[in-house]
Order: sequence, then structure tokens, then C-alpha cells
Amino acid sequence: MKSLPSDLARLATEPDTLAPESAEDVSSILRHASKEGLRVQVRGGGTRSGFGAPPTPDLVMSMENLTAVEAYEPDDLTLVVQAGARVDDVESTLIEHNQTAVLPERPGDSTVGGVIASGASSFKRGRLFGTRERLLEATVVTGDGRVVRGGGRVVKNVTGYDLPRLMVGAFGSLGVIVSVCLKLWPAPPDRATVTVDSPEAAAEVARPLAVLQDNESTRVYVWGTAAEIEAQTAKLGGGAEAGHHWPAGPVDRFGWSLRVPPANLTGAIERLPTEWRYVALHGVGEIRAASPRIDGAADLRSWAEDEGGRLVVTDSPEGGLDGFDPWGRPPPGIEFQKRLIAEFDPARVINPGRLPGGL
Amino acid sequence: MGWVTTEHPTREELDACVQCGLCLPVCPTFRLTGRETASPRGRLHAMSAVGEGVVEVDEVFAGLLDFCLGCRACEPVCPGLVPYGRALEGARAEIAEQVPGRKRLRRWQTTTILGSRAALRLGSLGLRIGQKLGLLRLTPARYRRITSGLRKLGGRGQPTLGHAGGSGEAGTVGLLAGCVQDEWFRPVNRTAVTLLEMAGHRVEVPRSQTCCGALAAHDGKAGAAHVFAGQNEEAFERYDMVVATAAGCSAHLAGYEGLGSSAADITVAVARAIDDGRLPVSEVDRGEMVIQDPCHLRHAQRVVDEPRRILEAAGFRPVEIDPVALCCGAAGVYTMAQPEASETLGNQKADQVRSSGVTRVASANPGCEMQLRSHLGDDYEVAHPIEWYLAALEEDGRGDD
Amino acid sequence: MSYLEALRGALGEANVLEEPVELHLFSKDASLLRGQANVVVFPQDADQVSEVVKIAEAHKVPIVARGAGTGLTAGASPTEGGIVVVTTAIDSIEIDLENRSAWVGAGVINLDLSAAAAPHGLHFAPDPSSQSACTIGGNVANNSGGPHCLAEGSTTSHVLGLEVVLAGGEIVRLGGNAPDPIGLDLKGLIVGSEGTLGIVTKALVRLLPLDPDVRTMLLAFPTVESAATTVSQVISAGMVPAALELMDQRMVQAVENWLQAGLPVDAAAVLLAEVVGETEGVEAEAEIIADLGRANGATSVEVARDETHRATLWKGRKSAFGAIAQLAPDYYLHDAVVPRTRLVETMSAVYEIADRYDLTMLNVFHAGDGNLHPLVAFDASDPETNRKVHEAGDEIVAICLKNGGALSGEHGIGIEKRDMMRTTFTELDLDAQARLKEAVDPSGVFNPSKVLPAGSRCFDFGGVRRKELPEGVWV
Repeated sequence: MKSLPSDLARLATEPDTLAPESAEDVSSILRHASKEGLRVQVRGGGTRSGFGAPPTPDLVMSMENLTAVEAYEPDDLTLVVQAGARVDDVESTLIEHNQTAVLPERPGDSTVGGVIASGASSFKRGRLFGTRERLLEATVVTGDGRVVRGGGRVVKNVTGYDLPRLMVGAFGSLGVIVSVCLKLWPAPPDRATVTVDSPEAAAEVARPLAVLQDNESTRVYVWGTAAEIEAQTAKLGGGAEAGHHWPAGPVDRFGWSLRVPPANLTGAIERLPTEWRYVALHGVGEIRAASPRIDGAADLRSWAEDEGGRLVVTDSPEGGLDGFDPWGRPPPGIEFQKRLIAEFDPARVINPGRLPGGL
Repeated sequence: MGWVTTEHPTREELDACVQCGLCLPVCPTFRLTGRETASPRGRLHAMSAVGEGVVEVDEVFAGLLDFCLGCRACEPVCPGLVPYGRALEGARAEIAEQVPGRKRLRRWQTTTILGSRAALRLGSLGLRIGQKLGLLRLTPARYRRITSGLRKLGGRGQPTLGHAGGSGEAGTVGLLAGCVQDEWFRPVNRTAVTLLEMAGHRVEVPRSQTCCGALAAHDGKAGAAHVFAGQNEEAFERYDMVVATAAGCSAHLAGYEGLGSSAADITVAVARAIDDGRLPVSEVDRGEMVIQDPCHLRHAQRVVDEPRRILEAAGFRPVEIDPVALCCGAAGVYTMAQPEASETLGNQKADQVRSSGVTRVASANPGCEMQLRSHLGDDYEVAHPIEWYLAALEEDGRGDD
Repeated sequence: MSYLEALRGALGEANVLEEPVELHLFSKDASLLRGQANVVVFPQDADQVSEVVKIAEAHKVPIVARGAGTGLTAGASPTEGGIVVVTTAIDSIEIDLENRSAWVGAGVINLDLSAAAAPHGLHFAPDPSSQSACTIGGNVANNSGGPHCLAEGSTTSHVLGLEVVLAGGEIVRLGGNAPDPIGLDLKGLIVGSEGTLGIVTKALVRLLPLDPDVRTMLLAFPTVESAATTVSQVISAGMVPAALELMDQRMVQAVENWLQAGLPVDAAAVLLAEVVGETEGVEAEAEIIADLGRANGATSVEVARDETHRATLWKGRKSAFGAIAQLAPDYYLHDAVVPRTRLVETMSAVYEIADRYDLTMLNVFHAGDGNLHPLVAFDASDPETNRKVHEAGDEIVAICLKNGGALSGEHGIGIEKRDMMRTTFTELDLDAQARLKEAVDPSGVFNPSKVLPAGSRCFDFGGVRRKELPEGVWV
């Protein structure tokens, strides 16, 4: 690889890794990459680097220096934060005000930008909706280095195209997210986790926060005033534990995200090979799973795709996929996706090939 | 060319529409077609365009307004208080004046026949003979809905025209006998007389009255309508209350300048008497009864509760079939003028009745009654709420006190 | 063959309108701006829409999609002429109880969908005030909101999938009942794109369960400020009610004049608040709102007695725009959103502007999410008034943006707000949006001239510089 121009060299934290300190730095790096035809991997906490096709970068852009909270308005329930901020740090700040950004629980080192780019969501999405419903504004640097902003710092906005939403799950293919404004939600301090006999039992309460089933049990998560909690846990048959006990995502050599229509969730669980560990979100249709081997995945994917779902690889050992496509059948409208990427990242430098259909 | 008559919709009437569109979902013809051109907002928009000189009053414009039932369901939902019914009559008067051939069209139906008792009697006699001999099957298709929806015309007592009776301690009522009402729906008029007299009214049906003029006005015959109105205002000016037993007529009476607030539908007069304790309430539970809301009662006069209270006083439990009370498609001469749309709406209404599982129906307007009977067939019993009420009182043995 | 003949051939003559008076009626929506349709078509399904798109592209004729024409920014006005594609005939509803969703034709009326879902204990959450008339296609196109999107989010949060006809007449089904479709979120891009990227023929929408309990309350205040302060305090008290709506005195009086529901016409402002959920929580939240209201000087706090009373209160709120006709033949309104923390000062500024221009101003808006609807009642036939109204409007928008706001919360940009896009976005921001448009609609037939001001596409990074292009050129 050719040596970096001097204005970029100062950003190097290790060979081939640059840590930009501003949107302008991100722009300089991407313009350089576009000019030289370099493939750039954007790295947040690295927790989802196995998601999609494995990257083969010439250059890594680390978001570790873009972690600032730019604006927090507790009374307006909005937060503007840079993409490299750790989810854990953000939520810790918010919970002091009894608020949450409804980002994934037990996030490890994940960053806000990483969660958005990979399209990950909270377990509470069945009640409070997923990450894409919480993104109000995004400042993004496109593949060819333009700093653009879409959306706004208000909770409701239809001014122009929904550029922020397009960034969710895009793995940076259109641009690198630099900062975002998130719609926050009140997080009542009174919470409970109730273990129930079956997912059907959760129907006793109206719109619980989450109903999670794993290999061992099914749990219903509720929050609200003390009186509400008492009433809801009573309807669920009692046996509540105080607080929310969220499961860790299962980890093994292979990681999976199985997405099916909510009505097919129980059927999907029954189809999982016995050695798979899983957490299933009832009412949503999402299953996060892990397995020591890839066996059975092809059959499961074929069934899921026939039901209108997907089986996506979220982690795999090097060379472990052996031709198994990380995404499966290409999505509809792929030509339009291609054209969008060509407009934003014409030299195709950010995470090339990581999206479905080899985009 | 714009407007040429004094009846035309005024800028003030039309400007009251800010095109919010809240009238669209309650308009039967918009519901049928999904087209702006068949909506109240669209029709007002077209009228405004005439006023602005953008659109001519021609066959196409006439076609847009011909398709309107005149049900006025758009009026109660209009927060801008657009007087749609008035604007429509004005536009139709313009059409009658400006569109070639429209001046003479249907004049025989609305002016000549309805204005003339002799012509009506003769026609009714013909129908009665036809009914008896089973000849009505042979009527042309576009009239068959009417002939098949008629009541049995034989042996129904004397016309009410000229009647005078009752104590009058609760005031004097002038009854508008109506045109077809006193011929084809005579029992409704006779029931009205009986109940009003039971309620302490003196009831008179002055011979000097004529057709209320509603059909003429709806059809663009503004001149004829004004003549009728003038004659009736004179005939009825001395009464405490002027009552009509057909919702279409009472709605039109309510628009007479000369009568003011004394005009009322019979359901209002009877419900008031029940509320005042001048008419009895039955203790017997007679089961469920479908209530159908005539447009000219519910939308044009906003009378909703009264027919229900009458049924309840008769011991029936009213069954609702349509929260927005979409038109049944009868709409005066609409059955003949727009047979296809009328047919679809009639079937819709009949389906609503059928899905209730109840076979007794109350309707306070003759056009609706005929449409319902025709579409529902012989297994269903359709009558005016006051008829159901009087029958119940008679069953209780309280009909003659 | 002309495109008119082609359209007649593809859809049948009964589904093609060409009479001048008919075209006139389809040449505007509920906003002020009139276009001129060349032809109006009523496709019956996606295949027919696809045919129309192909014909339009082949003949380079604009296509403007229209539902019920209740839009407020001229989004459905054929300002560049062309084919108005009315989707009202595409009106099927297929409810999927197990997945709590429904495939709904673009022409289905919003309230009809909720009525169809109600027997199953479900409803469609977005409830724009025009919901009794507006269509799902229009809701999707504008990413419509409504009072209840305060807690549940706007239309985009409730669209799981789309059947959409894109450039080339390609019919694509995007998304579905399964979460997180893979690849770029084309569905999310198309929602709110105001018909400029394609024509939505069906939407797969989320249906939410009806709430187990609800409290709807009407609080009357002696000043607009005290009502707005209450709103800010409710939000900062750590709750998000189902709805929090503010109406000022003029608006309440106009509505009451029609509704006759005993609304407090003497109050300077009323707040319509609704909380939903389990009974225990609902009672507690209603109490907090009432207390905050009283602390701010509320003169009355009335709780809806029953479902009928509740429906009446909502009917009053949702018919407000139409009631303005009682005051003047036209109205012009903005739809800016401000942070809830800036509500009070923004409202004061808005009234000050109206007073300074001597205009009749009414306010009825989604206070809970800071979505203002400052509304001027006037007679558009007077040019001087017209000028004043638009100048005042520009000032109102400027103050909202200065206070950290956005141009439109739910009505969209269309034509009416289009040229204000430059006040809130940079050239590069707009260029990015123009690129999105170009990528999805390369031939530019879908609702041209809407949303983005002319010349949004700049070439600062390419060879041609924007300044070299004549003003107003669409590139």
C-alpha cells in the first residue's frame, strides 16, 4: 500500500488504521480512498465484524475518536451523539435521567454507529420498535467524501427523503455515519421479569416490553409504575423477579440471525437443530442463534425464505462458510440498490461486497 | 357563459368549502366510484369553476350533478358548514335553464303530475289495477324497482286531505298530506292523524295545500318549487306546527322561509308527545327492529334519536345497521334516472339489513321504504316508525284512549 | 400512438378521464396550488399502474399519484401537467391476524382500515386528522402522522412492506412480515417520498392491539402559554402520552360553532390529552397531567365520560381545518416542528408575527411532539393579503428553524414548502437527496418538481459547476 498523504498520516493509530477526529477527517480519508481505489472497513466496537460477507480491507477506519455526546436534551427526549460512542456509555448517561435510547441490551463494546450500520435492535423492539424507528437525524460522509445531513433534531420530521433510515442496516455502503440524533424514551425505574410456562401466557398483558424465549425458558419483561407492574405480574401468574434480566446473545463458532414472520416463530424454534443455542423475540419474529457447526443451516434457510424470512450469518470462523452465502437469496429491487450505492460511493470503497448480492 | 339565473350557487356558498375532503367518505357516489368527479367536494369545485368562468354549464357538468343523489350526507360532516343541498338545487336550476333539452325533461313527472291531484289519483288507480291483475311485472326495467316496492294499494280508507279533528289542547297541527304519500302511503298519514289527535292536537289537512316542491327543486325546477312553496306557506301559516309524514317533504318544509321553526317531521312531533307523556310507552318487549335512517331525516334535518325513541316506546329494541347512514339509493327519481348506481346502493342497504338477522324494518320515508321492500323481498316487513308504534299500542289495547 | 390512446388501450376508456371539467377537479389537492392534469386514470391493480408508468416513460410525460386529494402541500397537484394516477380503485384489505398486519390497497381510506381491524381488537396507529378521508397510499407517500404518532411514531414505523411500481414499470414487493429485510432499506426510502420515486399500490402495515384502557381529557387554560408550558412539563415528567393536542380560542370557537359539543369557548387554549394502557398506569398518568395542568392555571379539567364523548372530542379536533372555512375562504398553514423545550417561546413568536402582519391566525396542533400548525385564514383572491400571508409564513418558518426545528412534521414538502428546503439543508445535503431521486427514478417521470428545489443536484465534486447552469434547470 502506498504511503498516506501527510494530512492523513497524523490519524494513523497503527499501520493501515486511521482514527478520524472529525467529519472532515472522515471526508479526507474517503476522498483519498476513492482516488486510490482503497477498500475501507469502518470499525466501531468490532462486535459485529462477522456480519455479512467477511471484509478484506486495505484500510481500517476506527471510530474510536468520535465518541462525543454533542447535545442531550432530557426534556425533549433527544440525544445527538457521535457514531463511535459506546452504547453502554450512552445508555449509562441516559439512565441517570430515567431515559433510554432503546439500543441493544448487553452491548459489549458496540458503538452507536455500529448498531445502526448493522441494523441491530433492542430486545424491547416488540413494544418500542427497532433502531430504525429511533433515528431522527444522521450526518454521514458519502463514499466520495461529501459530508451530508438528513433528517432533523426533532421527534417528527418529513422534510425531504429519509436519508437517516437508509443508513440502518446499510453497513456503510452509502456512507460512514459520523453522528446521529436519537429519539429517547422514558425508562421507568420499576421493572420486572416474569418467567412463564409458554409464550401464549404473555398474551395476558397488553403489549409487554418483550417476550423472550431461549433454550431454557420464556420470560416476559414489563416496566411502569409500581401499581402497573403489580397488576401485570399478577396477570402473568406471579413469580416475578425485580429488574430486567436480559440474556446474553448466544456465542459459538457460527452466529445467526433468523428472521421470520412473527406467526412462524414457534415453528422456526422447532426447526432449529438441537445443538443451536438461541434467543427468540416473540411478536417480532427475530431469533439470535449460535451453533458449533453449519450443518442444518441450508435447510433452515430454505424453509425461512419460503416463509418470507431470512437466515443471515452474523459470525463465522475464517473459511467456515465454504461457499454458503452469508445473506442468502438477493433481495428484491437489487438493481435500484446498486444504483443508489453508485451515486453515493461511486468508487465503491466502504465495505465493498459486504451487502447481499455482493454489493 | 357562467351563471344565468338568480338561483345559482353563490360565491359565499361555494367559498365555504376549503376542500378538506371530510365529505368524501360519507358520499355514496364517491364510495361507489372513488372519483373526485362523483364527490361533494368535486361537485362544489365544478360549480366554483363555473363561477370563475373556467367551466361551462353543459351536458358534462350536468352529468356530474345528475349522479348526485342529493342525500346531503355531506352536510352534517362539513365543519365549514357548506350549504350543499342549496348549492346543488341552484346548480340544477342553472342546468335546467342552460342545457338544451333539460327544460322540458321530466317536467311531466315533477310539475304536472305532482301538482295535480287528479293526475295522481288517475295514476294511482292505474297502478292499483295493475297490482291486482299482476301486470306490474311488465313495467319497463327502470320503473320496476318502484312498482315492486309499492305497498298494496287496495282498501286503505279515505285520503286524509280535508280532514279536521282533535281537541287541540296541545296545539293545532297542519298536516301536509303529500303527493304520493296520501295515495300510496295513506296508512302513514292516517296513523299520523290518529296519533297526533291522541296526543291532544287538533289536526287539520287543509285542501288549499299542494305538493311541497321538493322533487321539483331537486330537479332544477326552481320556479315551480317557489310557486308550490308560496301556496303552502299560505295554506299553513295559521298552525302551531306543520307536519309532514315523508322525510323528503318535511326536510323541504323546513327550508321554507315563511314557516320558520313550525315545520317538523312526524317523528319529531310524535317523539315529543311521547317525551311529554301525551302518548303512552309500551311495557311489552317486542324484540329487535332494524332502523333505517332516511337521508332527508338524518342528514338534512339531523333527526336521529326521534325515530329510535318512538320504536323504544313501542317496545322494540332498535338495531343499527350503518353508522354513517349511507343512502339507500332511492333518492326521489334517482331510481329511474341512475338505475345502475341506485341498484348497487339498494343492494348494499338490503345486505346491511339482512346481515342483522332481523326481518322487521322501520323507515320514515316512502322512497326508502319502497327501495327497501323492493330489494329485500316479501320476507321482510317494512313500515313507518309511527305505524309500528300505533300497531303496538293497539296490541296493548291502548290505541283508542 | 399518442399516450392518451395508449392509456385508453391499457386501462379501458371507462378508466380514463379527459373532459376539461373532470381534469379541472383533479388538478389540485386540499392545498392552494393548482396544476393542470392532461389526463386522469384509474388503474385497478399494480399491473395497470405498471402499464401507465411504461407509457409515461416512453412518452416522457409526468405521473402524479393521487389518493383522496387531502394533501396540504400540493404534492398531488399536477403542476407539470401529465397523468394523474388515482389509486382509489385499489382498495382491498387482507388482514393477517397471526402476524398482526394487513396488506392494504393504496386506495383504502385510513379509517376504513381501522374499522376493518377493530372487530379483531386491532387498529392502524397513524391517524392524520383527515383520516376519515385520506388513503393509505397518501399516508405512505407523505409519511403521515396524526395525534397518536406522539407515542407510536409516524406511518413509516407502521409500514412493514410495500408493493410499489418503480421506474421501468417494475413491480417490486419490498419488506414483509419478517423483521429487518436485508440490503438497503428501499421501503424506508419510498415511505415519505411523496410519489417522486414510484407509485405505491399496496402496503403491508402493522396493526396494533386496541388499548385495554384509555383516558381522554380536555383541559382549559387562561393563556396559550400556560397550555404550552403544561405540554413541555408533561414530556419532561417522564411520560409520553398517547396524544397531546393544543387548540387556541379562535379554533375552539370555530369548531364548537359546528360541533355543538359544549367545548370551553371562553378559554384562551385547550389541551386535549389522552393516555392509554393498563388501567393502573392510565389512572396515574391522567392524574399527573391534570395536576400539571392545574398547577399552570387550568380553569377546568374534564375527563371524557364515555366512548361517545371521547369520539366527539376527537371529531372536534380532527375537523378543525375544515372549520376555518367559517372565517375565510382560504387558509395557509405551516407544519414546522420545534423541540418541545422551545414550544412556549416559539408560540409567542408565532402570534407576534401574525399580529404584526395583521392576519387572522389560528392554532391547532400536535403539541406533544412540537409539531405546530400555525394557520392563517384569509381570502386568496386579494393579492396584497396573499403577499402578507406568505411573508408571515416565511417568518414563522424562520423562527421555528432558528429554534432548532424542522420544516415539516407530517404534511410533506410538495411544492408549497419546496423552496424553503434551502433554508434548512446545505447544497451538499440537497445534492445527496437529488442523487437518491436520480438513482431510483432516472427518467424523472415520477411527480417532477416536487420536494427538491430546482438545481438541487450540484456538481461541485464533478466537472460541471452548478453556477454554469441556467437557473431553474432540472439536471
